[in-house]
Amino acid sequence: MSLDEIQDTGAQRLRRSLIRIGAMAAKETIHVRRDPRTLALALAMPVALLFLFGYGVSTDLDHLPLSVADQDGSDVSRELTRTLGASGEIDVVSRTAAENAENLFRKNHAVGAVVIPSGLAADVAAGKRTKVQLLVDGSDPVVANQVISKVDAILRAASPRLAGLDVVRLEPPLSVKVWTLYNPEGRSALFMVPGLTALLLAITAVMLTALAIAGEWERGSMEQLFATPVGRFEIILGKLLPYLVLGFLALLLVLAFGMVAFDLPVRGRLWVVFLLGFVFLAGMLGQGLLISVVTKNQLVATQAGALSALLPSVILSGMIFPIDNMPLLLQLLSRLIPARYLVHGLRGVLLKGNGLDVLWPDLLAMCIFTAFILAIATARFQRRLA
Amino acid sequence: MTGPSPRLQVAAVFRKEVRQTVRDRRIMFMVVAAPMVQTLIFGFAVDFDVDKVPTEVVDLDRSAESREHARRLLADGTLLRSGESSSAEEASRKIDVGLAAAAVVMPRRLGSDLVARRPAEVQVILDGTDPNRASIAGAAASRYFGERGEELMRERLRAAGLREPGQVESVPRVAYNPRLKTAPYLVPGIAATLLVIVTTLVTAMGLSRERENGTMEQVLVTPIRPLWLLLGKLLPFLLIGLLDMGLLIGVGTWVFEVPLRGSLLVAGVGVALYLFSTLGVGLLISTVSQTQQQAFLGGFLFMLPAILLSGIMTPIRAMPDWLQAITYVNPVRHFAEVMRGVLLHGSGLEDLWFQLALLAFLGAAIMGLAVARFRTQIA
Repeated sequence: MSLDEIQDTGAQRLRRSLIRIGAMAAKETIHVRRDPRTLALALAMPVALLFLFGYGVSTDLDHLPLSVADQDGSDVSRELTRTLGASGEIDVVSRTAAENAENLFRKNHAVGAVVIPSGLAADVAAGKRTKVQLLVDGSDPVVANQVISKVDAILRAASPRLAGLDVVRLEPPLSVKVWTLYNPEGRSALFMVPGLTALLLAITAVMLTALAIAGEWERGSMEQLFATPVGRFEIILGKLLPYLVLGFLALLLVLAFGMVAFDLPVRGRLWVVFLLGFVFLAGMLGQGLLISVVTKNQLVATQAGALSALLPSVILSGMIFPIDNMPLLLQLLSRLIPARYLVHGLRGVLLKGNGLDVLWPDLLAMCIFTAFILAIATARFQRRLA
Repeated sequence: MTGPSPRLQVAAVFRKEVRQTVRDRRIMFMVVAAPMVQTLIFGFAVDFDVDKVPTEVVDLDRSAESREHARRLLADGTLLRSGESSSAEEASRKIDVGLAAAAVVMPRRLGSDLVARRPAEVQVILDGTDPNRASIAGAAASRYFGERGEELMRERLRAAGLREPGQVESVPRVAYNPRLKTAPYLVPGIAATLLVIVTTLVTAMGLSRERENGTMEQVLVTPIRPLWLLLGKLLPFLLIGLLDMGLLIGVGTWVFEVPLRGSLLVAGVGVALYLFSTLGVGLLISTVSQTQQQAFLGGFLFMLPAILLSGIMTPIRAMPDWLQAITYVNPVRHFAEVMRGVLLHGSGLEDLWFQLALLAFLGAAIMGLAVARFRTQIA
């Protein structure tokens, strides 16, 4: 051992360490670059998914197929049938009798059946309250609820006219004015894009890292790395850096595509978006690393990743299903899912224009998760052979 | 060439695959236990019913009427009082930071206006970030004040000695799922999702792994024919798929009270035809992938859109027409419809023949393509 090495300063050690990390990162980058199919899939997937989600995911229904059985056969009942169909919300597809309705439901030809009782015209003329029966196919609760509320609203609005009242003369004594903030047109895409960003980052970061590193264990090339002077922190950092860049690229791509295709607004500061995305990505990379260290097998790593990262990001993040509606236990569980904080944070920055003064708890929670998972993964990542 | 009989060839591969699968506890976990866990989480977590929307009450009137309206508006549980604000601006700020998702503003002089028969207007402010929640909260408020307005109008007509107008209203009755619970709708769809995840990914990655490791080549130097090799490899998954289906229906009926109204035989036919498609896609992906990583990504690129456009998460009718047309080539959609038909509607072959025929056609087409590719590749 020479004198130089003994008097090795901290700065020199750091410099050499950085060179080794750089070398690891360069090697990993070459790996990624030499596999253009994986790279293309990793970058094409976010765009394809965003496109489908933006157009495909909507709960706003119109032209709901309904059958109407008119047992009255009067001018009033015919006008009622016409009014139902004229709104565009409902299509009258059949005039079958009520007993036949379930047959239509089973064949998915109709989702509801209205039965207009005989004597409707007479009752309305006599100033009575007349009840029209509405049988609904409850197998899809979302559709069923919309059928119920739409038919109710149409009848309520048409009632005075059917009763032969002059609508113009009647001023409503009490009215409601509804203001919808942030997304006045109620477009599902604006709701979905921030959630989708979390899902796509989770897929890219956790899965690619887990598979890439588990692959090295499988093929035994990890062993060769251990024979070099590279320390385990250096291996980890070097391996994760290229995937961090890749994940960041995916984030930029998703945001740009959302802004261009779906007019996604960025009402807050862009750097807050990147900060949230960066901390989340680091946590997801840590999770991928931990999975690969524990499983050391690509097939199992996939399932572990799907179970621990993808599924929670879809179900428990509030991306599609509101967290407030979950049972308490799952609400508590969702607090352990970093995607929850990213989804909330991104919606805050992008749609509401919130800054860190409002969103610091989300950032803090993700920082804690990231630090925690990276610490465990590093501890489990031992430079020795099992 | 006289080799062992086809039956013997298939049986040998089948035995090897079953042993390999059963002995790998991790794979057993992922094909049997993981779907159960996921069904339970999904079933408990997802509730399409929106209620308890946190709502700020801004009562600028502070009269008996305005307090009464606030109380009755919140009574049905769709809206939940999160607090009181002294102005609309303060309520907006609370919506901004996420403390509330809606606000009801009762104007000054609401009570005296109503008594004096001057038109009154109530303001509702909604957080539009979640459009579904916003529309449900908005509908609840509009409905409540609409009904009150109607009552008031009738009272005034009565007081003036005029005849009340007749009125038409709907009385809904819900078939198949009277309490409109989410789980009976969702569980059949989850079954479709989990089956495609398990079978497609395991097939795609399993076969890619054999190519990566070179074990496929070793098998190919034996006298076994490629077709019998494939059959022996895929058969165990058909069995696993049927087993999973049985378990999922069991969990659904016992834990989530999903009804079982139709015939299990029709469901079984549906599963078999569906697995043809999902295993076919897995095989197809493995023939175009060089590594497991690619197979995984390819599998995801197929599965995510297939699940998304299946009508499980959001109704197909809410999609644009061109997208609805695409969903006809999606096996997940048809299988989910078969499962919902059998479980909830009690449908039989006469109702579901169209979906089953499409599943059979898609399965044959995908599997045919995959086998053709597989054979040219190893030849």
